[in-house]
Parts: sequence; C-alpha cells; structure tokens
Amino acid sequence: MISNTKEVKARDFEISRSAEEKRELLYKDDICIGCGICEKTCPVDAIELGSIGAIVRTDADVPKIVCDEDKCVLCGMCSVVCPVDALEFKIDDEDIKNMEEYPSLISSAEINDEICIYCKACETACPREAITIARNLPERSKLVTGEIEIDKETCIDCGICEEMCPADAITMEHKLPTSDDPTVSSDIIVDKDKCVYCLICKKSCPVDAIKAACRTCSYGEYDLNPEDAETTGASFIDQETCVNCGWCQEICPVDAATVVKSFEGELSVDQEKCQACGACVDICPCNVLSFPASSASGMRPEKVMSDENYCIYCGACENVCPVKAIEVKRTDIKHTPTKSKSWDKKMESLKT
Amino acid sequence: MEMELKVNQDNCLGCGVCVVACPVNASISNEVAGGHGSKTTETIMMVENGFIKLFSPEKCTKCGTCQLFCPTDAIWLE
Repeated sequence: MISNTKEVKARDFEISRSAEEKRELLYKDDICIGCGICEKTCPVDAIELGSIGAIVRTDADVPKIVCDEDKCVLCGMCSVVCPVDALEFKIDDEDIKNMEEYPSLISSAEINDEICIYCKACETACPREAITIARNLPERSKLVTGEIEIDKETCIDCGICEEMCPADAITMEHKLPTSDDPTVSSDIIVDKDKCVYCLICKKSCPVDAIKAACRTCSYGEYDLNPEDAETTGASFIDQETCVNCGWCQEICPVDAATVVKSFEGELSVDQEKCQACGACVDICPCNVLSFPASSASGMRPEKVMSDENYCIYCGACENVCPVKAIEVKRTDIKHTPTKSKSWDKKMESLKT
Repeated sequence: MEMELKVNQDNCLGCGVCVVACPVNASISNEVAGGHGSKTTETIMMVENGFIKLFSPEKCTKCGTCQLFCPTDAIWLE
C-alpha cells in the first residue's frame, strides 16, 4: 500500500509519497506569512492555520500551519496559491511552478542595475529585509585636490589640527617629553587620500605652521573625470523572503525597482469596530498598517491606518483581527494559464 | 493547531491590564475598554477578588494582545 510520509523538521514539514512519480510538499515556516490562503484553498481540508496572532506576536515555537498527512492528497494546489513561496511542491524533483501544465501566480520584484544609483533607500524600506545593496564609493582624493604641508619646525605639537580635522586625515604620534627631547610628539602625518582640503587645520593652527590650498578655491571649478565621481555597485533581492509588496518600487528615487503583484483588491478598516490592539500591524508582512502617532503620552493610540500601495491582499490582517474590523477583497488574480478547468476554477476562487 | 488561552492565578497581580487591552472585551463592553470594569461576565476575562478569571474563553480569537501586556506571564496562549 502506498501512503504519505511526513517528516517534521523544527517548524517546517515535508510530506511525500513515492509511487510511479515522487510527489513532495515542503513547508518553510520562516517564509510563511500566516495569510491562510492555503487553508482556504486545500480541497481536502488537510491544512489548518494556527493561531497566527499569538504565534507571530509572542514568537511562540509553533508552526503557523499544520498539514494532516492522512488527509493530504499531494495535489500541490497550496503551493501554487501561496503568495510567498512558503510551500513548495515537487513532482519528481521538479517544482510545479516551473511546469507549464500547472498555473502559477505572476509576481516579481526586480532592481535594474543600469538605473540604480545604489542609494540603499529600498534596502532600508524593505519590510522583509530581502534587499542587499553592495556599493563601491568613489575615492575622496579624486574628487577634491589641493596642497597641504605642515612645517615641523614651527609646529608646537599641540594636536589641535588632529582634533579638528573632519576627515581624520591628520595623525600625530604623541610621546612623553624627556630632558633629552622635550617635544611631545615624534611626528605629524597628513594622509593625502583622506584630506579634503577644507583648510580647517590651517585656520585653527595657533602658530601658522600649516600651509594648505584647495584647488577649487584657488582656481575655481575644474573638470573632474565623471567616472571618478561615480558610485558603482550591485543589487540583490532574496526572492525567497521577498513578498513583492512594492515598497522598493515606491521609495526608489530613480524608478529602478519594478514590482508586479499577483493580487489586486481593496483593504478596508472599520474604524468603529477597531479596538487598536495592533494584531494586524504586527502580522502584516508588508508594513501596510500602522498606528498614527499617539497624541500624548499615556493616551491610547488612534485607530489603525493603512497605505494600500504596499498591500499584497494576502488577507492575513483580516484573519487575525479579533473584532472583524478589517476586510480584504481580492478583485483580480494574475496567474499563468492552465488547461485544467478545476485548477483554473480554484485560482479564480481566490477572488472574494 | 488552535492555541488555548491559559491563566495562572499564582502569577496574577490583579492589575487588569489584560482585561483592558483585550480587543474582544472592548468590543463587548466599552466600560471594560475604559478600565471601569463593568460587572458583565460576557467578557473573556475579568479580575475577580484580585485575580484574573476566564469567563468566556471561547470568544478568544488568539490575537495575543493580553499576553503582550501582562507583566507577569499570568495569561498566555499555548
């Protein structure tokens, strides 16, 4: 007799069946956002969504979903409808999202390195910490040039220039004076790669020991090699943790990020019903929901507010709201076509 | 896997912050949300004789708000 086997690793699980073809369902709990779409879609009610509010907010060591291996028929539907790739379904080691016969949700997030100026705004804004921007800054010494010299005969080793230098370009080697050598410094060094010729040292030197000139100040603007001023780099989006929420696209000052969302819809919060408990704010994977700043200390915050620009209409907030104050409607689902009417029907059933 | 709301009266200070913080309680009774402790046992939990007591735990939606506010781990979801 052929039966499913379930292996549970930490909070993840793997259900598989080896018959003519090998079918496997793999669940990754740290990717799961607790939206419950899999639970609603499973044709055999094998998946049960846990108490996600409590799990996420109290960091409980409990999986967000559980799947009953005795009920699971390994159809793969949960994997196809999962908006974040927490469920992976493989037939003979091939992911069905890559198979033409099966539909899959259309969503993506990309950063075009040709346009990207590596400002890191997206890296900071990404609610899933899925973006890494690696950048190489231009060399300071190529952007500003000049002359600087310290007359060691005149210098009294006071160290004011070292302390004042905003670029940390001046280093003094301090030493204790001896009867043999009563000076307090053995050397003073200017690192010309760091010096920006701001002339702060020259102006603050009490004995006028520093001669310095900035090329721009002396001769006016001069042409830089534009390549020397350029910041280069590379961007990286971790597609596994990315939820295609659109923060990067919205925040990018040069429109280098492009996000395609699989769901369109509406999110509404009933301000009358809302008790401002914050469960939705904590569960939302996209930082869509937030509390307006409290008017005074000790005051209960105002009701919750939302910015639908970043919503993926996953419905996690609706599920978690203890007082049913949130409604998430999905009006359109983008997915690749399938010849199977039953699969198509299931995909369309994600609309609410 | 549904979690269950639990209390440990030995840890409870009777401060009532869970009663006030609970969004379901607030939607049942505005007085409770305002911290005035109406006597209704319709709410999920109330402080009685200085200790937390569950009255209607079946109304709990497991959002975890009470646990976040409780200073002594006297109320939690498991």
